Amino acid sequence: MKKFVGYLGRTFIRFLQDLSSVYYLFQETIFQAVILFTNRKKLEEARLLTYVNEIGTQSLPLVLTVASLLGIAMTVLISFQLKDVGGYSYIPGLVAVGIFREMGPLITALIVTGRVGAAFTARIGTMKVSEEILALETMAINPVRFLVVQRFIGLLCSLPALTTLANFTAVFGGFLFGSTRLGIRPDTYVRETLDVLTFTDIFSGMMKALVFAVIIVMIGCYRGFIVEGGAEEVGKATMVSVVSSTLSIIVFDTVMTGAFYG
Amino acid sequence: MIKAHGITKIYGSHTVLNGTDFTAERKKITYILGTSGGGKSTLLKILIGALKPDAGNVIFEETDITQLDRSELDPFRKKIGMLFQHGALLNSLTVGENISLPIREHTRLDENIIKIMVKMKLELVGLRDFEDLYPAQLSGGMQKRVALARALALDPEVVFFDEPTSGLDPIVAAVITKLIADLNKIQGITCIVVSHAVEEAMRIADKIVILYLGKVLVQGTPQEIRSSLDPLVQQFITGSPDGPIAFHTSRKDFREDLLVE
Repeated sequence: MKKFVGYLGRTFIRFLQDLSSVYYLFQETIFQAVILFTNRKKLEEARLLTYVNEIGTQSLPLVLTVASLLGIAMTVLISFQLKDVGGYSYIPGLVAVGIFREMGPLITALIVTGRVGAAFTARIGTMKVSEEILALETMAINPVRFLVVQRFIGLLCSLPALTTLANFTAVFGGFLFGSTRLGIRPDTYVRETLDVLTFTDIFSGMMKALVFAVIIVMIGCYRGFIVEGGAEEVGKATMVSVVSSTLSIIVFDTVMTGAFYG
Repeated sequence: MIKAHGITKIYGSHTVLNGTDFTAERKKITYILGTSGGGKSTLLKILIGALKPDAGNVIFEETDITQLDRSELDPFRKKIGMLFQHGALLNSLTVGENISLPIREHTRLDENIIKIMVKMKLELVGLRDFEDLYPAQLSGGMQKRVALARALALDPEVVFFDEPTSGLDPIVAAVITKLIADLNKIQGITCIVVSHAVEEAMRIADKIVILYLGKVLVQGTPQEIRSSLDPLVQQFITGSPDGPIAFHTSRKDFREDLLVE
């Protein structure tokens, strides 16, 4: 029992330490981003579009595939429930609201965590282990500006865009299933969808995407920066990074859904 | 001039440096020698401000760099260069980009001038045609030479070397040693070299500092070191397996350790 309480206490303290370090990293990232945007030459050298491409465009095939399947699966499940009461006319609205408010932002963020967040940790962790980060510091180059800021801006631009595309693709998946297999008339489907969707649905999805982007970059980079040791530690850090960002994303998702619609 | 005074660094219960004192004169080559695991790399990290000592200070041009925070260290860091043990080149950048990185960061020079500077630095280490290759495509010795070119990119006043010749073939090792000597002689760069290569130190150093158990055992010119009567010093410079410096660093008695189960 005593051991268990001790373990809990240590974990909690470590959690608070991590939290304050991530907060510090966030502050420094914002500060360095401001510096970057005030210096034209450095801004050009930062190659922001490369990062948007790497993070956003290259995630697109995966995100869209998953989103379209998700849209179909949701429609199948909802129609199964509504079949007996003859409420097929509710399907378009339910699917659209479910996707725009909840599933679209969440699934996109989780995919990007696995694909991009893990890569951030592995990349920065390897640089830390091979003393590349120390080398940057010795050259008086701020590692946060050199490594984090581009990724931060890249993801801040990419994730809302990816989420929007995923939302529409998922709704389109539902539309295809609904109009071909369930016999809902296409024009009815579209009208029902547009009737139900509100600006808040789209806005809340965007807000979520922005918050998730911050979580993915901060945790991904932070876990990389604190790696000590060798390849084994880089692997562990990558695992911890994915687990903790997944968990944080789901926690924040619940909180934000509660805040917007609770 | 760099002056380290009473540097102490403790990791857990292990005292790595225990009141290390030494001075490195301007425009001279100072070698810091010591056994493996003797705190040389830790000392080097403290000298460049990457690690804070638990006690003591490092004075560079009348400033105590151990008291500076990260942004305050930047002016100091623009005056120094550092050659890391494994080069520490950025793997995602080409050789040319690695060398131009500090130049781009800290100067507003024209792109063409930067290109010429990169070529000059690479010529200095004999690798002028390798600009467009990535570090992973080079051998260990070549990586180290590129890393040296990068360390020299901003024409530093002081260059720190972390085991510059370890793990290299004798010819490349000799080339690097000669480069260090030339940098000092021709360009007047202060060189501080952490190493365990005694012969090389005897050949080019102006001053040798020998670390043992976290303390400075002896410091002086190569002649003074060679003529030292201290058996520890003699064992170290002759590389003898027998002597006061024990091969076994285990802290437990062997017999007890075997019989414990």
